[in-house]
Amino acid sequence: MNNYKLFLKFIKQKSIFVMLLVIALSAVLSLSLQKGVLLTAVHAEEAGVELPAFEEGAASGEQQQTAEGTSAAGAEGEAKAEEEEEGELEPVQYRAFFGLDSRVIVWIVSELHLMFAAFVLGVPIFAVIVEIVGFKGGDIKYDKMAKEFTKLLSAAFATTASLGGLLAFSLFGLYPEFMGHMTNVFAPTMYVYALMFFGEAFTLYGYYYSWDILKGTSAKKWFHISLGVLLNLFGTGLMFLTNSWATYMMGPSGVSMKTGRLLSLSEAFYNELWMPVNIHRLIANVCFGGFIVGAYAAVKFLGAKTKEEKAHYDWMGYVGNFIGIGALIPLPFAGYWLGREIYSASPVMGNIMMGGAFSWTFIIQAILIGMLFIGANYYLWLGMGRIKGSERYTGYIKYLNVIIFMCFAVWLTPHNLPLSGEERAMIGEQYHPFSKYFGVMAAKNAVVNLIILSTFFSFLIYRRSNKGTMVAFSEQGKVGKIGVLSGLGFCLMMLVSYAISLNFVELDAQIKGYVTPLIFALYIQSLVVCLAVFLTFKNKGKLGQFILFGVTTCIAVLYFWYYGFQVMQKANLVLRYLSVTQVSIVMSCLIMNAVIDIFMFRKAKVVGEITWGKMPVRSQYALLLLCIVIVILMGLMGFIRSGLRMDWHVYGLLQDTSQWAYTPTLSFMGRVVGLIVALFLGLVAFVFWLANLGDKKVKTEAE
Amino acid sequence: MGNKRSQYLMFWVVAAVIFLFFFLKYVSPVVFQVLMGKGHPMPTPSTLMMWYMIMGILAGLVYATTSNQKFVDFLGFLLPGQGTFLKFFLQKIFFIAFPLVVGWFVYSYSLPGAASPVELRIQHPTLPQKYEKMENPFREKDADIQRKCIEEGKVLFQTYCRPCHGSKADGNGPFANSFRLRPINFQDPGTIATVVDNYLFWRIKEGGPGLPSESTPWDSAMPAWDGDLEDEQMWKIIMGEYDTAGVMPRQREKAE
Repeated sequence: MNNYKLFLKFIKQKSIFVMLLVIALSAVLSLSLQKGVLLTAVHAEEAGVELPAFEEGAASGEQQQTAEGTSAAGAEGEAKAEEEEEGELEPVQYRAFFGLDSRVIVWIVSELHLMFAAFVLGVPIFAVIVEIVGFKGGDIKYDKMAKEFTKLLSAAFATTASLGGLLAFSLFGLYPEFMGHMTNVFAPTMYVYALMFFGEAFTLYGYYYSWDILKGTSAKKWFHISLGVLLNLFGTGLMFLTNSWATYMMGPSGVSMKTGRLLSLSEAFYNELWMPVNIHRLIANVCFGGFIVGAYAAVKFLGAKTKEEKAHYDWMGYVGNFIGIGALIPLPFAGYWLGREIYSASPVMGNIMMGGAFSWTFIIQAILIGMLFIGANYYLWLGMGRIKGSERYTGYIKYLNVIIFMCFAVWLTPHNLPLSGEERAMIGEQYHPFSKYFGVMAAKNAVVNLIILSTFFSFLIYRRSNKGTMVAFSEQGKVGKIGVLSGLGFCLMMLVSYAISLNFVELDAQIKGYVTPLIFALYIQSLVVCLAVFLTFKNKGKLGQFILFGVTTCIAVLYFWYYGFQVMQKANLVLRYLSVTQVSIVMSCLIMNAVIDIFMFRKAKVVGEITWGKMPVRSQYALLLLCIVIVILMGLMGFIRSGLRMDWHVYGLLQDTSQWAYTPTLSFMGRVVGLIVALFLGLVAFVFWLANLGDKKVKTEAE
Repeated sequence: MGNKRSQYLMFWVVAAVIFLFFFLKYVSPVVFQVLMGKGHPMPTPSTLMMWYMIMGILAGLVYATTSNQKFVDFLGFLLPGQGTFLKFFLQKIFFIAFPLVVGWFVYSYSLPGAASPVELRIQHPTLPQKYEKMENPFREKDADIQRKCIEEGKVLFQTYCRPCHGSKADGNGPFANSFRLRPINFQDPGTIATVVDNYLFWRIKEGGPGLPSESTPWDSAMPAWDGDLEDEQMWKIIMGEYDTAGVMPRQREKAE
């Protein structure tokens, strides 16, 4: 059957879905093409957009608004007469819900909504990838797993939408003035958001319910995969839209900072922090989804009755952990970028974040991230027990363990230690050497890169565990050579292009000299990457990998630890370039080593099979721990991102004058985040239980 | 049961933890004293000691449970009647020492005593909004004027700030020892190099009394110089201070 006929048949069978989808897409398209709706600049004078009455905005406005929101100019006479009779209806600034703390209500609801949304947006990304892997590789178990992911997704989607509705009502009800301002600025994007939500809903349910229908032929499968891709596009679009509202609140742009008058919607939308938050959330959602799926698999593994079930959920847990840790590796880089942009948007907000009222929350963050890396590595090391042949590599575990824990210790050492008066007197100065050398960004960046390199090394030895004698690289044929050369080309492009661009950075002459060592470091790394490839071609790939790991550690960890201090002292503007250089060098090591490893062991003799299901129970508790930690981490980071605004709804523009505008203490924050985590995990467990009710019924009937 | 060496896994883990304790408690204070040229040891703060010890114990337990065999070997050390005399001997020492160590900890923590509370410090209290947009008026001037301002600032620094902050801005002024919390060493890259000019301006102008409520408990003896010094003098002092300490202020960055 050709593709055209298949397409027609699908449309015939699912005509309602298709019609609704087409309507929704057309509406989005037509709205987005109209001037001033999507990213077109809207001039306040033309559009008549004005802030709700707050100080200067109210005083300077020509079109005063009545409480009902109608223009007062035309109906002045009638309104006056009515007001005299009935009394003026005062605009409401804040409301309360049964006297409860409005800020806490919004905090809990928005965080729960965000957590569900993260899951709903993160899981489809890897569900589609797993489906493609299964389809291309012809392995049905991948397809089965991708479908199981999607089943969880469809159950969680309705909860996300309900929480989203609750959040919108809470915000409009409890903070009407603030939401009035947000609506004035972002109203056109809000309509687009609502319409895109239709797209998300239709593609999600279409993707899930058509799984078994769109099976059998290549064309059907590709159509199904396309639905999945579309689902991801809608989901990502939705997230990007809402991110612009949240980041506008942190770093407003496109509005007059005196009157709050909207000057350009496109600038307000594409504010300074928008893209860093987009990237950070996109990666974090995948990480979050991976660990949640891992925990789901762990629960199913622990309750599994048969060997087959255990094997399936063991494998699913492994994939969940792999996805989680795979996304966790670039996350610190994205987070660092976001942090720097927050400093750029406002050095004061930056100081509040890293050195001020929120600095201790970053110590908690460090502990949680450390636990994620340790938990993920621990799971991998335990997983080596189910692979015959892994004994050859288990000796490395003790060194990796020591390195990771030492890095963790440095990572969580604060610059300002809690000290008693006696300790202060004994130390005799403000900083103990441990905090002086371990507590600053140069040290943190160095150790986080070493943790990443160590975690990657754990992956390498895991995947080599059951591989025996290798086929010489020179006998691997064209595929291996093309693959390795492509990896080399990519790495060289990344390293050399950045090195060249560093020659042209605009800096004062007195600090520009601090960039030169970075350029040298990039060129040295480029040479080492070439050397590793050369050795691989000479059938000495392992030596190449060893040299690459060694040099990367020397440059990106040891040298940049020392050099970071120098730069902090003399030329802090160079720190930005140092961090990117550090990231580029580490990434080139990860990419090149992974590519060499894949092709070097491509035709290697398999010395033993992986016995899925043969995992100690504690490994499953490690997966559960990872899930709980990532949920706490998301709760904490949500608080930090939003709380950085201190007592501002929109930073520097619209002040929060409600009684709840204070910054919560760490203890209070801990209790609220704990409550959110408990609520989320409880809701997720309930929703997943609901999703599996159908399966139980089918099983019972089969029995 | 594993090989002969693995029978001692628990012993090695415990030995590593004890070694870590001794290193942090007795070795590192002396090492830092030598490395930093101090006239006294630099004891490891109790909070850090606790964190590092937790890390050490956790690392040992993680390693001991990375495979079923290791876990069996780890616990096997406690089983009677297996192994050599050395193992028997170490086992008995462990059985005697462990309750003693726990007892010692319980005793030392419950012993009545007087100690000041551990304080959670905030390094950079929140800068009030009105200072955020301020710019040092002399930073934009030409090089000659800037140099002149720096020299004037250095003289002012030596006049007004040296008694506490020291002639080299290293926190070693003649009065430094009289404070419970010594003045900060500005040469340290983690101090004034991490903040913008106007942050210092606020700290000089309003001093300890001007700190916001969230930074309490905060003990800063810095006086408020508002009224005693002109704003221009304060900006010049800031320039002179950075130059004296040999560091640069954090500079505003453009978003990419």
